Amino acid sequence: MIDPAWVSGLSALLFVIGLAGAFTRKNAIIVLMCIELMLNAANMQFAAAAVHHGDTTGWVYTIFAIAIAASEVAIGLAIFLAMYGQHESITLDDVNVLKN
Amino acid sequence: MAGSGSSEIVHSTAAQYAPWILLLPMLAFPIILYLGKALNGNKMWKDTLKEGGLIALGFMGASLVLSLWLVVDFIGAYGGTEMLSDWTWFTSSMWADGDNAVSTVSFGFGIHIDHITVMLLFIASFLCLLINTFAIGYMNTDPINDNRNHRFYAEFVLFCSGMLGMVLADSFLWLFIFWELMGLCSYLLIGFYYERPSAAYAAKKAFLTTRVGDVFLMVGLAILWDLFGSLDYAVVFDSHNIEAVANNSAGTLAWALGLMFIGAVGKSAQFPLHVWLPDAMEGPTPVSALIHAATMVNAGLYLVARMFPFFGHEAMHGELADLAFIIAAIGGTTAVMAAAIAFVQHDLKKVLAYSTMSQLAYIFTGLGAALYLANTLHWHKYLPDGTTNPEYYVNHGIVIVAFGAALFHLFNHAMAKGMLFMASGAVIHEVHHAHHHLHHHDDDHGHSDPEELVMLAKYLNDNDQTVYEFFKSIDLDGSGDIDMFEFQKALTASQIANLPPWEMTALVKAVDLNGDGRLNLPELDLALGRIISDLDHGHHDEFDAQSMENMGGLASKMPITATAMLVGSLSIMGFPLIGGFWSKEGIIANTWRVALEDPRFFYPALCVLLGAGMTGFYMSRMWLKTFAGSPKGEVAAHVHPTNTWIKIPLFTLTFFSLGGVILASMGFTHWAPDIEYGLMSDHGGFIGGFLYEMEHVFANSKPFFFILTYIAIFIGAIVGPGIALSLYGGALDEGETVKPWFTPVLALNAAVKGRYHWDNSALAGSGFATALSNRLYFDHYYDMAMLKIVAAFSNKAAEADASVIDGTVKTIERTSQDISTKLRALTTGSARDYILMAAVGTLALVGLIWGVVA
Repeated sequence: MIDPAWVSGLSALLFVIGLAGAFTRKNAIIVLMCIELMLNAANMQFAAAAVHHGDTTGWVYTIFAIAIAASEVAIGLAIFLAMYGQHESITLDDVNVLKN
Repeated sequence: MAGSGSSEIVHSTAAQYAPWILLLPMLAFPIILYLGKALNGNKMWKDTLKEGGLIALGFMGASLVLSLWLVVDFIGAYGGTEMLSDWTWFTSSMWADGDNAVSTVSFGFGIHIDHITVMLLFIASFLCLLINTFAIGYMNTDPINDNRNHRFYAEFVLFCSGMLGMVLADSFLWLFIFWELMGLCSYLLIGFYYERPSAAYAAKKAFLTTRVGDVFLMVGLAILWDLFGSLDYAVVFDSHNIEAVANNSAGTLAWALGLMFIGAVGKSAQFPLHVWLPDAMEGPTPVSALIHAATMVNAGLYLVARMFPFFGHEAMHGELADLAFIIAAIGGTTAVMAAAIAFVQHDLKKVLAYSTMSQLAYIFTGLGAALYLANTLHWHKYLPDGTTNPEYYVNHGIVIVAFGAALFHLFNHAMAKGMLFMASGAVIHEVHHAHHHLHHHDDDHGHSDPEELVMLAKYLNDNDQTVYEFFKSIDLDGSGDIDMFEFQKALTASQIANLPPWEMTALVKAVDLNGDGRLNLPELDLALGRIISDLDHGHHDEFDAQSMENMGGLASKMPITATAMLVGSLSIMGFPLIGGFWSKEGIIANTWRVALEDPRFFYPALCVLLGAGMTGFYMSRMWLKTFAGSPKGEVAAHVHPTNTWIKIPLFTLTFFSLGGVILASMGFTHWAPDIEYGLMSDHGGFIGGFLYEMEHVFANSKPFFFILTYIAIFIGAIVGPGIALSLYGGALDEGETVKPWFTPVLALNAAVKGRYHWDNSALAGSGFATALSNRLYFDHYYDMAMLKIVAAFSNKAAEADASVIDGTVKTIERTSQDISTKLRALTTGSARDYILMAAVGTLALVGLIWGVVA
């Protein structure tokens, strides 16, 4: 049995990688991938905790999170398509309509 | 309500079939509507079935047979009340006040048959059938109605079923439902020619004005429900229930009945809710006959007559006398007012409309007097303390005769007015056709005038330019005649038409009389002058087939119609021995009888006496202007007798109005609310009844009533008609032959007019006459009130909505938008920055919580 601390450490590492990617990258698709990475880091933590405590609740959460993440990706990609239609680019720096 | 479970007494087989009387016409409604839609334009549908007219006739005939069966059954059994209720509509559970018990109330439909029901049932079903017959002759021969008559017949049968249902219903709830059904049908039928703005307006007006009354009726019924816990006749007319209510809340009951009376005022077009009735003439004439004779306006009278048990109950003794006075006073006011307005009407149907209003007012006055007597006399067999009433026989007779007179006038008026409307319809129909016939010849020239010439004539007319000036202005070279080119330029300049040469050639040819290809002044003057004079002298479209100014001398041309109209007018006037005489005398006598006891009643009593003379005048004026004298105008000289469909009902009803004396002898003057006064039971059969009535009317043993009778006859049958005879009509033209019974009337007319003719133009031009022809400005002031009060209130409400309600919402929205605009200026707009902010924020929160917890 692996020590839960290792799994938690791994998932924290993954989460930080995803967070850093989401902050620094300009390409919208890569940002989306980073967000997925963060989600899966959380999923991993859930699954590990479920095994550790012998409680299935964590697994159920994970399954829900995967399903919701899938739909989120679908919506996210649709937004990017629309964004491309309007701005001819999916670079996030080009999109700043929220200002003013 | 009559629900299942209560014990019903079913007296006869006829009563068991009674629901079909109203269900048959109701069934015909969808049938005619559907077939009319499916077979529209089909030759068989149009010619053989008369676009549904014959289907309606069949259903109405079956309905009449059933009602006759019921009437005969009822008269044979000498009165009494029958109930039949075997259908439950729905059952509703309610929490009773105070305790926790649940009471159930069943709403069902049942049939209630008593003397009032039977009277109105006969009137409604009989007249509906006759009017249906008339309508086939009237509607189906007018091309304007082609392919939409099925709508007329469908709405017609629905209207009839509404009236029949209202009469048969066994509760005020169903009375109200059918009452509203009639309101709907009156709206649909008055607006039958909905493409005409005036008809659409009249329909709306009728609907909304009666609706004002209906609101009061509904409130009255709600109070009644509160008092009795039911609207079923079996409950509210139950002697013990009335007694219980009278002991606790007699005043509330008076209010309920008063509010219900306002509903009747609206429906029967009495002052001050009378404004819709004259406008209702916009509907086709059969509809006018239906509304004025058979259905609608009788509904209000029926409702008031229905209230009789409340007034007649010992426990309510004297409590409702004020309400009875109000009913009589409104009747008296309307009787005189409507008769006065009828003096100045030129439209044949409008005279009849005001006459209806006035005669209904008579019935209301009669009912008011009868209800007063019932409420203030001890007319029951036993006094409240249980002892035998010594004045029972006298008082009972007085109440029964007073109530019977009002109901009998309802009957006579319905028969006479139905006939008068159908006869007026026949006259209008034939005058219209005669006009159409003559107009056709004119049409032929009319169409030969090129459109451009007509437009040119209109142009000159509008700009007040003579043909000479026009000619001078277009004769550019001053040669005295104009060529095609100059003419074309003139047409272009006056913005009429810019025609190509080949069309100009045709136009010039139409004007050019000498054929030299040029137009000179006389030619143009001739062509344009004729068109201009056509425009000036009322165009043919403006011919009014309903105006009595376009009639006159029709007695020789339409003998049956003229006879029907004469008999109907005499009946309405109360000419001795004919229909309305018996009932009108009864109403006048009973109102005066009350006036002797209660001085307030002098007002309605004087009104009905005066109204008798006024009725004599306006009915005579109408007949004389239409049928006597020489024809006014070319159209009236070319009128032909009417068709058979129209003649049948006229013929039938003439005998009904003439036969008033027979009905009076049979005891219809005391058409009784109880069994003891059955038909022909009192005075030794028919002959005895005849002798009794004659003696009672012409040789009354009480000096007051003896004199009153002769005063009423003198005013109503001599003074009123005498004035009309001296002013209007006159002998027919030479060579016109008439039926023998017109000869004395026309001879009298010629003699009176020749000897006593006087000039009434000063009177006719006076301010009062102008006020009368403006209907005493009621419509004007109602419109003003609507604009000033209702419209002003609506404007204020709209303002409040915009500034207060919308204003609040808009302020919140505007403020939040302002704030967000200011906040937006602080941000970069880049998604990554927002994520960074969210992450840093979250981290800070986590750190904070960690710090607190740890």
